Amino acid sequence: MDQADPGSNDRADVRLLAEIVAGVEQSFVELYRRRHNDVYRFVFAMAKSRSFAQDVTQEVFLNVLENAARFDSAKGTVRAWLFGCARHVTLDRLRLERRWTDDMPADVGTLDSDERLLADQRVERLHAAIARLPVEYREALVLFELQELTYAETATVLDCPIGTVRSRLHRGRVLLATMLDENAQPLSEVKSSVGAPLQAREVCS
Amino acid sequence: MSNTPHDASRLQSDLAQLRTALRALEPPEVDEAALRARFREMQQQRAQNAVAERSSRFRLAAAAAVVLALGGILAAVVLRGEHPASVLVPVAAETPVAIPVPVSAFQPLPNSTSLSPSSSYNVVRVRIPLSAFAVVPGTQQGGSIEADLLVGEDGLARAIRFNEAEALLVSVADQ
Repeated sequence: MDQADPGSNDRADVRLLAEIVAGVEQSFVELYRRRHNDVYRFVFAMAKSRSFAQDVTQEVFLNVLENAARFDSAKGTVRAWLFGCARHVTLDRLRLERRWTDDMPADVGTLDSDERLLADQRVERLHAAIARLPVEYREALVLFELQELTYAETATVLDCPIGTVRSRLHRGRVLLATMLDENAQPLSEVKSSVGAPLQAREVCS
Repeated sequence: MSNTPHDASRLQSDLAQLRTALRALEPPEVDEAALRARFREMQQQRAQNAVAERSSRFRLAAAAAVVLALGGILAAVVLRGEHPASVLVPVAAETPVAIPVPVSAFQPLPNSTSLSPSSSYNVVRVRIPLSAFAVVPGTQQGGSIEADLLVGEDGLARAIRFNEAEALLVSVADQ
């Protein structure tokens, strides 16, 4: 996806969404081609599971078919809207599978060419630590640090004030740094040192 | 907790590496045919839903119209049935009042003009002290008796009737 001109990209996305609402099949395929990578990577960053990311990506675009008419360009970009949809689907699935933080399984098996970059030990540890973060810190970090959304866009996706985003990012970074420390404590002990995380219901509301 | 500047910069560096790695991550190949098939399926389902919604709206409107029509017919029937009844049934029968049943007919009062069927009269219920009558042995002097007076249009009493004596005799204690 060309990120050189976000404005024109977003205008194109908006046009495609409008055409999807009008029933243009080709526009749906085009939007999928343009944006499914973003959605897939966001979900993979959140859950650290390729199969999970694949399923959620498919579900997100099915939701797009049903809810394209609800998109409001005044509230943000199509990309941010898609992240919002992906976030809801991801949280729903994590909740159903009771995989909020702990026991997040990493995909095992042979590494293909795309995954070799992730094989670096530090990056792998970092991703594993992110996947074990409380979900409210995890989603803020993934959107802001890994998907490179702005504070305002992150706040829109998370449906919370910018100050809350900043607070969650700070806490998330502190947690991450602690977890990545060589003498890192177990996560359950680390959590108490940065304050109690939000409850799942607050995140999913 | 160690959150030194060194830790923060290392974390930022690691995050940048992870960001790069994620950018290079390619999702599985898209099955475009399946995607298009799913789109058509959803469009078809949406069209069916729209038809079903229109159909259900029509049925709802039709049902509402039928209910209104039936209500109108029912109201017309009820009103038509009530009107003659109100004409035919005496008012006295519709509003039963616990009035003591008189036991005697009106008796013309002495020195009054005779009653005429063509004239109209008012019935006035009065309570007459027994002292107004000739003393009857065995009666209480402080008692009274109810009677109906037939009063003509000129305001003069023309006839009187006494109600049942046992029921209408009022004791002195009730006064």
